[in-house]
Amino acid sequence: MSHTIDIALTVNHIKYERSIEPRMLLSDFLRHELGLTGTHVGCEHGVCGACSVLFDGQPIRSCLMFAVQANGHEILSIEGLGTLDNLHPLQASFMEAHALQCGFCTPGFILTLVPFLEKNPNPNEQEIRQAISGNICRCTGYQNIVEAVKLAAEKMSAAHKE
Amino acid sequence: MNYVGKRIKRNEDPRLLTGQALFVDDVDLPRMLHAAFLRSDYAHARLKSIDISAALQRPGVVAVYTAEIMGEEWKPGPALVSPPPTVENVLFNSRTQVPLVKDKVRYAGEPIAVVIAESRYIAEDAVEDIIVDLEPLEVVADLEKALSPQSVLIHEDLESNLAAQMVQVKGDYAKARQEADLIIKRRIIIDRGAAAAMENRGIVADWDAKSHFLTVWDTTQAPIPIRNGLALRLGLSEHQVRVIAPFLGGGFGPKMMMFYSEEMLIPWIAIKLARPIKWIEDRRENFYATTQERVQIHDAEMALDHDGRILGIKDNFLHDTGAYDPYGLTQSHTMGAYDVANYYSEIKVVFTNKMITTPVRGAGRPQGIYIAERLLDLAAKELGIDPIEIRKRNFIPPDKFPYEHCIIDQAFSPLIFDSGNYQPVLNKAATMIGYDQFVKEEQPRLRAEGHHVGIGIVSFVETTGVGPYEGARITVQANGKISVATGVGTQGQGHFTSFAQIVADQLGVDVQDVQLVTGDTAEFHWGTGTFASRGAVVAGNAIHASAVAVRAKILKLASEVLKAPEEELEIKDGKVQVADIPHLSISLGELATLANPLRGAVEPGTEPGLEATAYFGPKYGATAFGTHAMILEVDTETMMVEIKRYVVVEDCGTILNPMILEGQVHGGVAMGIGNAYYEKLVYDENAQLLNASLADYLIPTATEVPRIVVGHEETPSPLNPLGTKGAGEAGAIPVPALFAQALENALPEYNLEILESPLSPNRLFELLQKKEKSQ
Amino acid sequence: MKIDGEYIFKGPREEVWRIIRDPEVLATALPGTKRLDKVGENEYQGEMNVRVGPVAGLFSGRLVVSKEVPLSSLTLTVDGRGSPGFANGSGNVILNDQSDGTTLMKYEGELQIGGKLASVGQRLLDTASKSMIHTGLEALDLALQARVAAKSEGKEVEYTPPSESKFAAAVAKDMAGQMLSSRTVWIIIAIIVILAIVAAVLISRAH
Repeated sequence: MSHTIDIALTVNHIKYERSIEPRMLLSDFLRHELGLTGTHVGCEHGVCGACSVLFDGQPIRSCLMFAVQANGHEILSIEGLGTLDNLHPLQASFMEAHALQCGFCTPGFILTLVPFLEKNPNPNEQEIRQAISGNICRCTGYQNIVEAVKLAAEKMSAAHKE
Repeated sequence: MNYVGKRIKRNEDPRLLTGQALFVDDVDLPRMLHAAFLRSDYAHARLKSIDISAALQRPGVVAVYTAEIMGEEWKPGPALVSPPPTVENVLFNSRTQVPLVKDKVRYAGEPIAVVIAESRYIAEDAVEDIIVDLEPLEVVADLEKALSPQSVLIHEDLESNLAAQMVQVKGDYAKARQEADLIIKRRIIIDRGAAAAMENRGIVADWDAKSHFLTVWDTTQAPIPIRNGLALRLGLSEHQVRVIAPFLGGGFGPKMMMFYSEEMLIPWIAIKLARPIKWIEDRRENFYATTQERVQIHDAEMALDHDGRILGIKDNFLHDTGAYDPYGLTQSHTMGAYDVANYYSEIKVVFTNKMITTPVRGAGRPQGIYIAERLLDLAAKELGIDPIEIRKRNFIPPDKFPYEHCIIDQAFSPLIFDSGNYQPVLNKAATMIGYDQFVKEEQPRLRAEGHHVGIGIVSFVETTGVGPYEGARITVQANGKISVATGVGTQGQGHFTSFAQIVADQLGVDVQDVQLVTGDTAEFHWGTGTFASRGAVVAGNAIHASAVAVRAKILKLASEVLKAPEEELEIKDGKVQVADIPHLSISLGELATLANPLRGAVEPGTEPGLEATAYFGPKYGATAFGTHAMILEVDTETMMVEIKRYVVVEDCGTILNPMILEGQVHGGVAMGIGNAYYEKLVYDENAQLLNASLADYLIPTATEVPRIVVGHEETPSPLNPLGTKGAGEAGAIPVPALFAQALENALPEYNLEILESPLSPNRLFELLQKKEKSQ
Repeated sequence: MKIDGEYIFKGPREEVWRIIRDPEVLATALPGTKRLDKVGENEYQGEMNVRVGPVAGLFSGRLVVSKEVPLSSLTLTVDGRGSPGFANGSGNVILNDQSDGTTLMKYEGELQIGGKLASVGQRLLDTASKSMIHTGLEALDLALQARVAAKSEGKEVEYTPPSESKFAAAVAKDMAGQMLSSRTVWIIIAIIVILAIVAAVLISRAH
């Protein structure tokens, strides 16, 4: 019989309680225990950034964390950011700027950018590229992603002014 | 024309952006089991024994399979592509990959056993319980040594490690050589790289024992051939098998390879155990277990006259196919975009103890273009001719199209370039990058300040949109929306949108009301797959043909219903109306319902509904053309490269959606930059892969890829009604050649001759050191 | 992968020779070694836990001693495999007297590495192997000194080999020292490690 630990955590504003093995990765927990498959696994060694989620508001790589470490914390995954009828400005901007092609790396990029834009509401190109240099995209060449971020920054600062 | 040619936002994006798109690893079925593979650490070894008893004891393990356990049901995979039938003097030894190692391991990573367990964690634990006795053999890692008579044989039933040999002849090179004023002869070496899509491979197979039906979700670029092949292998009828390629996280070529060992095994196991089985590759496995791009060693020669006109090219090269050669011969010519009257090429494909190579974005053309552009650049230097000028003197002139090369291309059709107009593209690129101003003013000024800046400009051709064919079925639904089904899968190219644009224009509907299904053999089961920059061309034209047919049916029926002649009808905003009499109209949905009567009869010789299926198969591929230009700066202390400006001008015929096209170019260039300066699969002399992780295999990030400015020219293709050519690979093809030229240009004091690809900061350092020592 | 280096043992050559031909002492010099059994005149079989960065697992293998010139030199051939991959190769060991009564050991050889170790552990292999060898030789040196001291005092040899965790800490520190490549830091760390081991020995003696 494998050894399990009880955890309680909040994911996308919903509280969950589960009994899981200590070695279960947070990425596997989100995807297979909770069925939130929007978080994608690209490498399982923390390099590609596709699995990025927000942990108490900070971007982390869910493939490098055990689910038990998230006990008592708040996770935000891509499903918690916006819906089909109500896209977050970043999601809408990615669509307008054609900043995604296969879409596999996209949730990781977007969640990395949420806290970045909060801290840097008006970033320049170089700052944006630095901010996303820890996320790998094989399809877009990054240019349209940079455009999307600029667009989102505009949208979000306009919203703030209202 | 309403939609084609416009920058339309993508229909598929909202689902991808909100985590609502299905990828293979998202599939979750009740009672599903998980697979993990035991793979060989040795590159060449004899399998003596396997002891799975400890693995079977582990709680949670349901089964373990080896070649022995498979017994008579073990058989090697099918060959994908048979050798070219139209060329004489072809030698081809077909040896295909196996589901599990039976007697001999031929590459490090080859699967030896598979564990099926209740969770992936348990399955991976159980893999370590398996005890394998392998007797290591001498390893064949070097391409040239592999052909020496003393070399150990990888396939012991053959006489040597030669997998294939082919000679291509055009004109008379020997004669051209005699008449030449200059011969450039060089040895050029090209090394392995990975496609490294962000999504690793995976399969879920579900056998419903009660209805005798197999459903497979597979990260494949070719669901229809997989379905047909699986049915054959498993003794089922084709209609008992459904293969679904849902959203794929990038393909780039290796997901086109069929049948991987896992693709052969997992469905078979699903039937044996009558439970759904899931296998998802992890990133390290992806480096070992997914096919890679090739090593090639070229002894190439270009004969020119003193004006820099190419009289002939000769290229003898070795191609590393890895341990098996299921994919046939995907070789490219090395004549570039040039008017070359004499060509001789001898290709030897060689087995080595490494992973199988199959095409990755570019598929032999980056290598071919590298040779052509390098030799031409070296000739330009020797003759003192400007690199742009020498290219203009050699381009195929616009009045010579269609241009026949008298050899075959990689799809085994005759190599014919359908249309093109190359000089304007080159001129545009030169203007956009500011070539003259840079060479005359900026470069000397920056050099005086101590900067090592260089400029490069290279051109390429790409055979795209090759056959055999694709098909599509279009149906007008009762709710007025249009459903389209086609066989090509999607890996991010925007098919859901670009194809919808074609349909929306023909049928007068909003592009968002066109609902596309791709990659599901239950919806459409005739076709090949997404590769060789052919999706938009071949499937797009099939969709166009089908839409035209549906449009005709709409007009015919509407004409009866509205009692007006067809010429007076127009279709727009989802309804058919008599021109200038808006109240005489009927919506497409209502028309579709009328076409499917519950009373009355369907006339003999006609079909119910507003639906049509059409196919398109071009005689040969349409040739696209492009020019890339780049200005870079090298830091001679760190060997790091900063790309200051990057311009692409491409001509891919009629453009369906410029936004999607530019995205493809950006992505291709990023991949090309990786292939040129950062990515290399490093093998040691035991054919051990030394960098099987993204920490050590360096994919460019946002700080390595520059802004790319894209310009367009449009020379339509006469080969298809839409006039399109493909562009999926265009961004990647010329980049290694571009880097070589620009680096040589940036470091003139070293008088470098770059004859290898990929380069890297380390390698550039070594090359400069060598030069310094010899001076 | 090339492996070469030198080490100075604080004891006479005959004692060093005896130690390196004693499987029990060898087994303890590299903690993580689960067993090292003599299965033939010059052949040993053993199992060892190996950890290099993210790669860990059990290795089993054979060690063969050949070309023995007693008290002077020998060749070791090793062939190990396990879930982390495989490692095989051979090396020569030469002992020479030094004028101050110490013994200089020189070793050089080649190791072929494959599997996970090679493909994921590449960056760490060089420093890890150097550190493991060096720290192992240090442990052997302590054993040697305990033996020499016991002989001269006529007592039983009292030697407590370093525990697995202490060894791992020592290797890690050594590797960090290599990477920092600051001689002073390295010396300080080495001193701390040796002091810790000596302290452990002294403490256990006191019981």
